Amino acid sequence: MYRIRFHGRGGQGMKTASRILGTAFFLEGFEVQDAPRYGAERRGAPIFAYVRASKEAINERGIIKEPGLVIVADDTLVAMPAAGVLQGVTEDTVILIVSVIEAELWKDRLNFPGRVLTVIPPGEGQSHERAFTGGAIAGAAARLTGAVSKASLEEAIREELIPLGTKVVEENLEDALSVYEFMAEHEGCVAPGTAIAVEGFTPPNWVELPFEDARLSSPAIHAEATSEQIKTGLWRTVRPVIDYELCNRCSWLCSTFCPESAISVNEDGFPEIDYEHCKGCMICMTQCPPHAISGVLEREAKGGEDNET
Amino acid sequence: MSEETFKSVKDLPSTRLLCGGTPMCSGCGALEALHEIYDILGKKTVFVNAAGCMTLLSIYPFTPFRGSWLYTAMASAPAGAQGVRDALDILIEKKQMPPEDDLQVVVLTGDGAAYGMGLSSTSAAIDRELDFLYICYDNEGYGNTGQQFSAATPHAAKTATSKGPRGYPGYKKDLFSIWAAHKPPYVATVVGSEPLDLAKKIEKASELKGPRLIIAFSPCPTGWGFDPKLSVEIGKLAVKSGVWPLKEYIDGKVIHTKIPRKRVPVEEYLKVQGRFSHLFSPKRNEELISEIQARVDAYWKEVEG
Repeated sequence: MYRIRFHGRGGQGMKTASRILGTAFFLEGFEVQDAPRYGAERRGAPIFAYVRASKEAINERGIIKEPGLVIVADDTLVAMPAAGVLQGVTEDTVILIVSVIEAELWKDRLNFPGRVLTVIPPGEGQSHERAFTGGAIAGAAARLTGAVSKASLEEAIREELIPLGTKVVEENLEDALSVYEFMAEHEGCVAPGTAIAVEGFTPPNWVELPFEDARLSSPAIHAEATSEQIKTGLWRTVRPVIDYELCNRCSWLCSTFCPESAISVNEDGFPEIDYEHCKGCMICMTQCPPHAISGVLEREAKGGEDNET
Repeated sequence: MSEETFKSVKDLPSTRLLCGGTPMCSGCGALEALHEIYDILGKKTVFVNAAGCMTLLSIYPFTPFRGSWLYTAMASAPAGAQGVRDALDILIEKKQMPPEDDLQVVVLTGDGAAYGMGLSSTSAAIDRELDFLYICYDNEGYGNTGQQFSAATPHAAKTATSKGPRGYPGYKKDLFSIWAAHKPPYVATVVGSEPLDLAKKIEKASELKGPRLIIAFSPCPTGWGFDPKLSVEIGKLAVKSGVWPLKEYIDGKVIHTKIPRKRVPVEEYLKVQGRFSHLFSPKRNEELISEIQARVDAYWKEVEG
């Protein structure tokens, strides 16, 4: 059974990738499960999706704990514990990272004995507007398993994406086929895992809670502003940077417009950005009257100490 | 304090009461309006939040609020507000709570609840003259579940449940007029991209007693299909094109608080949003664009007389 896990950020097309790959496997005669998993997270937040495919009936359910292939569409997720990129990987797992950093370096950094591959995002260095499409990710997975033909991949993309219009279909096809070719030398490097026997199933570590009345059991929060502890700055791919030479201390428009309350005004009337919570929407950049705020790609941002923890 | 508190943008609050770390999407127009509103209302509030995007604000054990918040089912936030108001009144009456500790009861719902499921309970709460403030963040669809259309969805918009070449066949419900028809003390429309207008209205509403209802137009990058950085720009375009009239109902009269003297064509507003892209590509749909423009023109013709 193939077990493939996709990690990305909300909006990057991981759900789409899982659907395309699932459909492609189905067209090849496999039994398939494909599903995204996301909870209360949004565009920019770490999410994952997964696909199981097998020639036999699939009795496994739920999230994939022992992936044969892990694809990471955004390399900033690797260092983020919440993203759980490395969860359950073994030396037989193949990890594919969309990154400009070389595979060998990733292998070292992760101290990972198995195979690490990378693919460079398209348009690198030109724009942060368009990331990899879901089609590209599905194309990579298809080739690495060696179990999906080009024709099935193409048909799956058309089938899944036609409601989104021909332009989306064409973009995805182009990306998918180019990555499918790019991965040719690694074709079939992902080996199918064996099905997990029922006997080997370990139940989850559920905590049994006794029934209490509402006064005790309702989830009441007795403190204010606790969401401060959630570092939504990790969602950010572009960082707004204020040029204080240009800032004219207007009536803190950037701070007023910032949906996240992540821009405060200091005693001297200058705005300060809280990078622990800024999600990088860049409204401040577009609304600053003297254009004192610019956008810097997060991985190129200097002094990124706020974001390292 | 009076309405005069906010004369210019220089008077807007610079402290931020609503804290970060929420799970709202990057560039959320509703969160932007909410934090501007919260800065004016302050922490002596109880938010009664019907199911929707904003219920994700407070997920145990995390909350961005500095005051109270509770969660109700989708249609019943005004009923929840009644309970909270009654409880506060009883505590004060029985001298178990000093009157100065009283809290403003604020209902917070999306348009799905305000325009649809919760309209009946809102109507009843206005009938009972419940002393509460209703904030509807209107992102014109069921955003939390993937932007299915709601009664607030504009004509021709593409949603998860109106994917055809003509988009949503219905028309956005005129909730402002429905609310105003109950003759409550105050009804107003606001948008986060016009913070001064918003501040004046929230200030005015918080000084009044009885049912006061606010619709906050909330550009939604995820559901409407635009880059998050354009969120404020799209809010401004909605006002400048006349698509979203800023107005208030007070003392039995409707007053427009910001009349765009020279309206930009609605096309400027439509073409920057993915949900209207089918009006421009692959072929321009002149008929639908003209229809939308004509409706906006007819509205303002009536206003300007």
